[in-house]
Amino acid sequence: MRDVWIVIPAFNEATVISDVVGDVRLVFDNVVCVDDGSRDDTAEQAWRAGAHVVRHPVNLGQGAAIQTGVEYARSRPGAAVFATFDADGQHRIADVIRMVNRLRTEDLDIVVGTRFADGTPNNMPTLRRLVFPLIAKLSPASRKLGLTDAHNGLRVFDKAVADGLNLTMSGMAHASEIVALIVENGWRVAEEPVEILYTDYSMSKGQPLVNGVNIIFDGLLRKRMRR
Amino acid sequence: MNWIQVLLIAAVLGVLVYLLRSRRSAQAKAWVKIGYVLFVLAAVYAIVRPDDTTVVANWLGVDRGADLLEYALIVAFLFTTISTYMRFKDLELRYAQLARAVALEGARAPEPH
Repeated sequence: MRDVWIVIPAFNEATVISDVVGDVRLVFDNVVCVDDGSRDDTAEQAWRAGAHVVRHPVNLGQGAAIQTGVEYARSRPGAAVFATFDADGQHRIADVIRMVNRLRTEDLDIVVGTRFADGTPNNMPTLRRLVFPLIAKLSPASRKLGLTDAHNGLRVFDKAVADGLNLTMSGMAHASEIVALIVENGWRVAEEPVEILYTDYSMSKGQPLVNGVNIIFDGLLRKRMRR
Repeated sequence: MNWIQVLLIAAVLGVLVYLLRSRRSAQAKAWVKIGYVLFVLAAVYAIVRPDDTTVVANWLGVDRGADLLEYALIVAFLFTTISTYMRFKDLELRYAQLARAVALEGARAPEPH
């Protein structure tokens, strides 16, 4: 797994980042943590846990942090497989390993996690259970690809995708932007069922659902932006 | 001439002077300035002869000139709002690229074990 790079965007995660990086490092050597201008010592904690640390001088948003992490990782010698992984501990390493193996064995450029592979997960809060599939259905790109969960933070992709990734949406609209880029570039995509650990901590850090309005609005404007 | 007409003309001319004196970007904004000059001429005309706007309004199927001006104002306001929003988004993107360059410059690799 020496050619795998795990990209972890983090904003004010000092209490958990050390454990999350430590867990990932049990399996994967290369971790880059992008500290998105945190006010706590997230960067220091991540670095002590063995991650490469890139620190935004100001807070830019999760999309910008992912872009920064991928740009750092793709410039490292030997990097071939990349994964985005949330800093709040809601993803499972076992899921990443399975997705990496799938990327290596099947004819794919990108594997995205889904929470809705066999119906809706029982542990998911009710509102999210209703809203996330709706967003996926509203997005023409997601429909075209048959994706069920556009806003899953867990993605594994190859060098072609990493080189082609150019996220212009700094905030949360980056998830739909990634889906749009998959369509535009013709990347081969598949979904892999993953489990999300909805801890109290990850729930408290989660997006207020009304932010979905921003996601949809920014997505509509994206086409009009100079790239 | 009413006092309100004097005040409005003074305000419009004030905007004109401000625009012509600003040296922000000489060539790119030239057409914008020409547009503003035309706007100022039309504005002064409409202030001096307000009833003429009603004639134009009637051509377009609107009863009063004042209503026509309000519609134009709403459209202009929406246009300004959207173009400002787009410009902010564009600035945000460049700002992110700048911050990213700074961040990558100062990246820290873990100490080798």
